[in-house]
Amino acid sequence: MTKKRLLAALPLFLGALTLAIAATGCGGSKSSTSSSSSSGGTFRLGTASGIDSLNPYVAFNQDAYSAFEYTYPILVQYDSNLHYAPFFAKSWHASNDGKTWTFKTQPNAKWTDGKPLTAADAAWTINTDIKYKDGGAANAAGLVNHITKATAPNATTLVVKYDEAPGPTWVLGQFQQFFILPQHIWAQHIGKDGAGLKTFPNNAPVVGSGPFTLVKYQKNQITLFKRNDSYWGTKPKIDEFGLQQYSNDDAMVTALKSGDLDAIETVPATAMKTLRNAGFEVSDVPGLDQTDFIINSNPQKKTHRELLDLKVKEAFDHAINRQKIDEVTFLGAAQPAVSIIPAPAGAGWHNPHLKPVTFDLDLANKLLDQAGFKRGPGGIRVADGQKMSYNVVAPTDVQSIPRTFQILQTDFAKIGVQLKQQALDSSAAFAKMTSPNNTYQGFDLAMWDWTALIDPDFMLSVVTCDQYGGWSDSGYCDKDYDKMYTEQQVAPSEAKRRQIVWAMQAKLYKDRPYLWLANDDSVAAVSSDWADFQNTAQGPFNELNIESLTQVHQK
Amino acid sequence: MRGTDYVLKRVGFAIVTVFVAVTINFVLFRLAPGDAVTNLSRVPHATPQLRHALEVQFGLDKSKWQQYVIYLKQLAHGNLGISYTNQQPVSTNLRDKLINTLPMVTLGTVFAIVFGTFTGVIAAWRRGTKAERATVFSALGFYAMPTQWLGLMLIIIFAGVLPTGGMTNEFLLDPPFWTHVRDLASHIFLPALTLGLVLYGEYTLIVRSAMLETLGEDYILTARAKGLKPRTIVRKHALRNALLPITTLIALSLGYIVAGAILVEIVFSWPGIGSAVNDAVHQRDYPMLQGAFLVLTVSVIFFNLVADLLYFRLDPRITE
Repeated sequence: MTKKRLLAALPLFLGALTLAIAATGCGGSKSSTSSSSSSGGTFRLGTASGIDSLNPYVAFNQDAYSAFEYTYPILVQYDSNLHYAPFFAKSWHASNDGKTWTFKTQPNAKWTDGKPLTAADAAWTINTDIKYKDGGAANAAGLVNHITKATAPNATTLVVKYDEAPGPTWVLGQFQQFFILPQHIWAQHIGKDGAGLKTFPNNAPVVGSGPFTLVKYQKNQITLFKRNDSYWGTKPKIDEFGLQQYSNDDAMVTALKSGDLDAIETVPATAMKTLRNAGFEVSDVPGLDQTDFIINSNPQKKTHRELLDLKVKEAFDHAINRQKIDEVTFLGAAQPAVSIIPAPAGAGWHNPHLKPVTFDLDLANKLLDQAGFKRGPGGIRVADGQKMSYNVVAPTDVQSIPRTFQILQTDFAKIGVQLKQQALDSSAAFAKMTSPNNTYQGFDLAMWDWTALIDPDFMLSVVTCDQYGGWSDSGYCDKDYDKMYTEQQVAPSEAKRRQIVWAMQAKLYKDRPYLWLANDDSVAAVSSDWADFQNTAQGPFNELNIESLTQVHQK
Repeated sequence: MRGTDYVLKRVGFAIVTVFVAVTINFVLFRLAPGDAVTNLSRVPHATPQLRHALEVQFGLDKSKWQQYVIYLKQLAHGNLGISYTNQQPVSTNLRDKLINTLPMVTLGTVFAIVFGTFTGVIAAWRRGTKAERATVFSALGFYAMPTQWLGLMLIIIFAGVLPTGGMTNEFLLDPPFWTHVRDLASHIFLPALTLGLVLYGEYTLIVRSAMLETLGEDYILTARAKGLKPRTIVRKHALRNALLPITTLIALSLGYIVAGAILVEIVFSWPGIGSAVNDAVHQRDYPMLQGAFLVLTVSVIFFNLVADLLYFRLDPRITE
């Protein structure tokens, strides 16, 4: 809040109403209002999510990570086919024993404050994250797993040593998400035991070295990025872009239609047709978000143990009308989901042999009959003396859940299973599911969603026993699965890793801790005044690469 | 002396209430299921170390009693703590949000007070006429209307004419002062109007009710019999005596100004304290919640105290 804004509020109290009415003529301007006079213009992007912090050790939202993608150097990025491509690292190779990786980095690169950017900055960031992984750098600990040390023998060579030989795609997957920080800035803010890494606000203008410099940040309002003319790669075509945050989707769509925005990164399904009819380019591509129906698969579950019966899980799967969910909930902007690794993740990690089961209530009834669960009073089946009646924990922040639940509830009633929605906010929902004390005894069924990354490691990890109390929301714990998870991390080749990853998906498909419901599309919209605004499975403003906003330009 | 007793009692009661509220603020949010560490440690590649590090950092590894004592000590030093989510001082976060909220909510509230009092008086004075029926109908309509729905309708109606979200056009870099004022006014209009219309209904109904009671008194009949002008009767005899309930309502409204208007702020993406509280609830950001509710509590108690003291001036019967 500036002094200017405070001063501006004073006249408001004197003649605000009249002034406001008089000012109505200044709304809805089509043109960019930036003071920049260069030819590239300002691209105004609306978001419903926003950037929660400029500090990579604190940030949580995806938009924050996408912002870092455009402002900090990263060793590798994804190309348009979702294969690893050079970025700050021009090339790389592993030693014969696979325990040492050497990266050749861009020469003559600079930070935005003019200081040289070298491999030493990368080595410093890695070593700092290792040193403080139990403290200030804890949220980067997973990215430096197995690394013992990093060195920079010269300005363009980075050498990373591992305690055991990791798989090549695993190494690149970790570094694709690793932001290199300017040592000369951050080294002053480490503080005691690294605590300062978290409290350093990293205010705008942020010293970085990406294609854009983050020059203005107001939480929950706006983040502005200016083209970095000292960037070592291909320069962006626009002068600047801004990310404006809206807490109301309808208002954001209206702002786009009124010309207050040039694009929005997530279009609600209900607005797609309206925007297309209004002449906007609406890009609808398969996304990485999948909604799921979770069956508590904790082997030590004490109540409703019939839910561990694979026949019951299979029956439930056949009672899900995925086509109807796609049509009613997502208005066609989704595909039936089948595996923990969604098909749009690309790069061959999704197991293509897995197919969604058929919607077949007769078969579902038959399976439950075979399992011996007869119908009791009210048509509800009885298992081990208890009604097959379950509360379904439903986080309120997943907008698709209420409609989807109604579809499930109606169909499950036809197979003699009663579902009752238990709406909780996400924090309370997770507490309920993991209770008590991370033993996963507190729930039977739940609904939620997952947003996958391109590399499968993270999604595959969420069902390991180690994730009890961490990412696990199903209570699934299987030693054979965990063994495969470790094996895929150190697989000697991409082909071998793929084989293991597919086998893990097949196992989850059979064990069914999740019944996957819908793989919803990534839908973005842009004004027809702009070209080459690229949408991806992770949206147009993403952490995959810097293509979208370096390529976009005015027509 | 009886007047001094009254004032001292009210001030003492206000201080005790603040202390009780401080304690309740601490306990209440910790009773809610879920915790801050769970939310913040659920980032890709998080490890168990992150969860432990966050617990130590936030002091959540200590007993609830120790946390309470630390909280009171910090409070005694004027320190509201550090926000869990952005690691910045709560007082700074709250100050920024309050400065954003106050102009919008104050404008809406002042509009409601002025317009609602005026229409309430008209409705009472013109009892039984079309003017009264129209006023009561519109007041009941706006009072009953869901705030978020009214806000969305105004967005649709004014689409393309007024901005639909945010506080200013943030793409204007270093605009001239009056350009900034015009920009702020165009952004503030719809949220302030939404809030004002909802509150207007409440004011109209209460003022009308208070006025009707007063207009039935004998001294009004006497004033009419004396041949006083209607405007004089309303202004000098009826409205003055109807001020007590109106004063209470205004005090309550002013007390709640600092709470912002959560629904209005969310609909219009207004970066104020209401939406900050909403975020803090979802993120279980205890220091932000404690700080925000402390400010709200103190504000409500302060304005209630002001109302109590005004009563002392407005109605001598209180000390009798």
